[in-house]
This record gives sequence, C-alpha cells and structure tokens, in this order.
Amino acid sequence: MSRIKSKRIAFRIDMTPMVDVAFLLLTFFMLTTKFRPPETVKIDLPSSHSDLKLPESNVLTVTVSKQNTFFMGVSSKQSREKIFNSVIKPKLEAAKYSTVALQDSLKNFRLSENFPVGRDELEKFIVRARFADQKLLPVIKADADTNFEAVNHVIKIYKKAKFLTFKLMTTLEKEVN
Amino acid sequence: MALFDTPHNHRSLKKRRPRSKRIGFHLDMTPMVDVAFLLLTFFMLTTTFSKANTMEITIPPEMTEVKVYETNVMTLRIAGDGMAYCSLGNDAPKKLPLYDSLDTRQLALSKGLRQLLKQQTLANEKTVIVVKISNKARYKQLVDIIDELNLMRINRFSLDDYTEQDDKEIKRAI
Repeated sequence: MSRIKSKRIAFRIDMTPMVDVAFLLLTFFMLTTKFRPPETVKIDLPSSHSDLKLPESNVLTVTVSKQNTFFMGVSSKQSREKIFNSVIKPKLEAAKYSTVALQDSLKNFRLSENFPVGRDELEKFIVRARFADQKLLPVIKADADTNFEAVNHVIKIYKKAKFLTFKLMTTLEKEVN
Repeated sequence: MALFDTPHNHRSLKKRRPRSKRIGFHLDMTPMVDVAFLLLTFFMLTTTFSKANTMEITIPPEMTEVKVYETNVMTLRIAGDGMAYCSLGNDAPKKLPLYDSLDTRQLALSKGLRQLLKQQTLANEKTVIVVKISNKARYKQLVDIIDELNLMRINRFSLDDYTEQDDKEIKRAI
C-alpha cells in the first residue's frame, strides 16, 4: 500500500541574487540613516491635517517647551557661526574669557542643534540670525500644551523681524470622525 | 545550510599530482549573509522616513492697514475658559464651546462652531475672520482653529492681538 517515495537528492539553490539584493538594501539603509540627535526637551506636537513637509535646509527653529522655556536652533553652521560672533562673542569678551576658551565655545556652538535662550534674549538672537542669513525659514515648534502667551511672544518677535510667513510644526492627524 | 562536497574518487587521488587545479572551491558564506540580514532588518525597522509636518501661516505686517467693512469682519475670540466667542461686526458675541467634549485630547472643533464659520463664509464671500486668542489659552487651540479653517478652505483669516477691549466684549456675550 505504501507509495514509493522518491528519494530527495541534496539540492542547492543559487542564493547569490538574493544576497546581492540584501546587501544593496543594507548599504542603502546604512547610508541614508541619520540617527536622530538626542532631544533636549520632550515636545508633544499638536496634530493637524496639513501635510506640508519641513524644508531641509536654512531652517530657524524656535522651540517652546511645556514649561514655557525657549530654545533656538539654526540648521546651517555658517549662520550659527555668525550668530555666535555677533551675539555671544562680545558677551564672553566682556566677561574676560581667553581666546582659547572663546574658540572652544565657538566649536561647541557650531555643533549644537539647539540651545536654550532666555525669554528676553530671544528677540536679539532672532534679529541677528535674520541678518546673518537672509534665506532663513522660520519655524515654531511648540508643545501642544504650552500657553498661547509664550507662542505669541515668538510670533510677535517674528513679526518684528519681518518674518511674516512661518511654519508651525505639527504631526499628521489620523482621521477620527 | 551545509556544504555538500562530492566525495573524491580515491583511486584517482593517488595518481594526482600535488599541485592540482582547484575545482569547485566553496567558501561558507552563511554567517556573513546572516549578519548582513540582521543588519538589514535592524536598519529597515529603525528607519523612519518621516519628516516633521508643518502648517504655514502668514501674519499681516505691523504697519499696513486694510480697510474692511464692519459687516464683513467676523471676530473669533478664544478665551482661556475653552469657549469661543463669535461676533459679526459690532454685534454682541455668540458664546459657543470650542470643543464638543471636555476631553483635552479632542481634535476637531465643535460642530456648532464649524457650522457657524461655514455658514458665514458661504453667506458672504468677503468675510474676513479675525482670530484673537487670549494669553490664557493653549497653543493647541490655535493649531486646531487654523487647521479647521484650512480644511474648510477658508483662507481669509488673520491673527490679531487679544486686548482688554476683547475681555469687555466677551462679557456682552449671549
């Protein structure tokens, strides 16, 4: 009754193409991945239906945290340097810092994505940044739960700096109703 | 995956010269491919191509003034209490809840408010909506309002400062 089973002979599949594709994908992902820099503060963005994307370069971001503290970030290193030279350097020089210390803090500043700014200083920084780089695109990144007052402060400064069109960073809202 | 080596013919082995041509040389690449796949899955799973979404708004410059008929202006005042006060021209403002429920995670504006905004813009194409948000309000409310206006394709709106005058106006609300 038993059927005669054909003996399986050891067989081999050429896996080379699969491995090729795997390596191709691997190199692609490895080269395109940019690890997100650690966040200085946690921001829960408000949600909206807008699907405009954040531009890649020349972005001036003002972050407003839940505790109503302000952070500023400029995406290009040249503008950062200019801001440092025009705002921070005179201050440090007045405080009698050595040139080595100055250079060191410039190096740090060039690499920092975000730096905390006092409420009163923000205007000075933004106006300087505006002078340093004409092509800056202003963005407000604020926590959904911040007081409108703090955001309004930023909007007023943008208005003074003649940034009349700016972007609010949001997350895409999933359809609920 | 194992290697399958074909057994050599022992008889011929003796006759072979020591330096023979190497035929069918196999290197076991399995571990390398394993590692490659592991890395591939890691990068595929950790990569998010998401870029932050943004919403664009334009604010009017400080010095310019645009004259608009009073009846074409609809003022939307948002006080800190979660209520919206809508008024047309100089009429007494109408009090409406900003959200339908008190749940703070509510995403859409209340039905009443949406209807009012829609009706007004349909009735009068020249309507300009002026949004005034109290300092006591939340930032989320600003985003929700602008989002809602964008969804309704209303682009004649602007932001304005909320002053004490607006606090007085609100008291007249019905």
